[in-house]
Amino acid sequence: MTTVAGRRLLVVEDEYALAFDLAGWLESQGADVLGPVASVADALALLDEDALPDVAVLDINLGSERVFPVADALQAAGVPFVFLSGYDSRVFPQPYRNVPLCTKPVDNAQLLRVLGTVLAA
Amino acid sequence: MAIGQLGAGITGFEEQKGFRFLTYSNARPRPARYSRDAGMRGRDDLDDGTGPRTPSTRNEELLELIVDSSADFAIYTTDQTGTASSWNVGAERLFGFAEAEMVGHDADVVFTSEDRAAGIPARERSRASQDGRALDERWHQRRDGSRFWASGLLMPLRDGTGYVKIVRDRTEQYEAEQRVRAEEARFRLLATSVPQLVFTTLPDGGRTWPSPQWIEYTGISFDESLGQGWLAAIHPDDREATRTAWHEALAREKYYVEHRVWSAASGEYRWHQTRARPLPGSTNSAEWIGTMTDIHDLRTLKDRQGVLLAELQHRTRNLLGVVQAIARQTMKKSQSLDAFGEAYEERLRALSRVQSILAELDFGDVSLRTIIEAELTAHGDGALGSGKIEIGGPDVNLAATAAQALALGVHELATNAIKYGALAREEGKLTVTWSVSKEGQHRVATILWRESGVTMSETAETGRKGYGTELITRALPYQLKAKTELSFEADGVRCAIAVPVTEPNVGE
Repeated sequence: MTTVAGRRLLVVEDEYALAFDLAGWLESQGADVLGPVASVADALALLDEDALPDVAVLDINLGSERVFPVADALQAAGVPFVFLSGYDSRVFPQPYRNVPLCTKPVDNAQLLRVLGTVLAA
Repeated sequence: MAIGQLGAGITGFEEQKGFRFLTYSNARPRPARYSRDAGMRGRDDLDDGTGPRTPSTRNEELLELIVDSSADFAIYTTDQTGTASSWNVGAERLFGFAEAEMVGHDADVVFTSEDRAAGIPARERSRASQDGRALDERWHQRRDGSRFWASGLLMPLRDGTGYVKIVRDRTEQYEAEQRVRAEEARFRLLATSVPQLVFTTLPDGGRTWPSPQWIEYTGISFDESLGQGWLAAIHPDDREATRTAWHEALAREKYYVEHRVWSAASGEYRWHQTRARPLPGSTNSAEWIGTMTDIHDLRTLKDRQGVLLAELQHRTRNLLGVVQAIARQTMKKSQSLDAFGEAYEERLRALSRVQSILAELDFGDVSLRTIIEAELTAHGDGALGSGKIEIGGPDVNLAATAAQALALGVHELATNAIKYGALAREEGKLTVTWSVSKEGQHRVATILWRESGVTMSETAETGRKGYGTELITRALPYQLKAKTELSFEADGVRCAIAVPVTEPNVGE
């Protein structure tokens, strides 16, 4: 199974505790974490500055904004990603219907499996 | 005698008022004697010997046979004043008066007493004289006083000596008509007073009657609504479905569609549920009756309910995510399971408090004062009103997500103050003040938390590395783009939190 070890992994999540908890755990799995960042602007800035990540974990609601501009930028750059959200997949806009969704609260093992799947694809 | 005159020019029948009348040519009828027995005696005795058999005598004979044997029609003649001069078997049967009783007597007794008192019989005779006939639909009276609904025709005799009257009992038809009329009136009353838009239609959707409510609702006139004209009030996107629903309706004998109908009053399309059923016992070409019910609010509410449910699920999951993260973070910083239990429970309570506030405001903006007061009330042990705590600042609102994060920060400060700080000792004081300033495009509220009268001890050191410190110095800047400063001064904790706030509504 494909793992996240040695992969550059962007985390976009506005809830501090969740973001750092997740980032810390992914690092413990050997990932090179980019971020975490809490807003669309910060995420886009990171994508501009740094080398592109191999994969990304995106929370959908970031305070009062939504993460979709970041998703679009990643799609355009060919970077796979997964959503992490309290939302059901049925509220997703059409262009993201095929993007995997992990629901909150996070199941770390499940997230790792899904990340492995999109990295292998 | 009179009947012979009448019969001389029969040319056929005329359909009128539900039964057939004999019709007559203009040829001058020849006088003939009429007796009720004549028809029974046969033709040799019928003629009074005035000449050979001619077409007109045959006609007379025919007529006398008809009149005599006509049990369904009362036929009688009178003179100018209404005195009976002949009275057929139908008249005997219908009115209950025998011929012998009537001939030579006033025939107006067949009218009701009210009509006689009102001069109806005389008026009818004068109308017949003037117009050549008088149609007469009214209650008549039998010999025994019972009444029946009669359809009558009064015509003057051509020689001017009197009148002939033909009467038929139409009580059954009359009562049936009355019932139909009453039923129709009931239908119209119902159809025009219910809030639904009622209509009658052919099974191809062609309207035959739109109720006044429809006309008022859509602003489409009665005439414009007929046939397929009513479709003009249906939303263009729904017209196809509205039309095709008729195909299925025929097989099921039931029409059903949900579509948008133009409301002239509100200037918008509103969702309606339209149903129609054929009238009982009708065929495919017969009339159907339908109603259109406004279900717009119901539909809107259903949609809204779906959105709310999704949102509720989202919030619940997010909240569980936060609870999970707090548990993990608290676990990392806890020395023992007991310490974890205490701190975790307090944090969940703080989370629950701010959730209650947010839920009450339907997750709209929350006043900063509300957040601070809620935390200090929960922890202060009555200190809030005791003069130990001072709170002050302008009215300012936070977005719901910011409010939750800030409330957890204030919770950490308050917990620390109660355990080690200003709220832990007699001489301690706490002031929480805030001001609002503009930074670039955003408005920012700067909150100052100042404790005094505290002798800082080594216990503060634990606080420096604790979860609360991390929350204020790292989480709030990360999550809210807040600027925070936290310092442990000699006489107590100082904390400054500058957090972006929502713009006041226009007009506020």
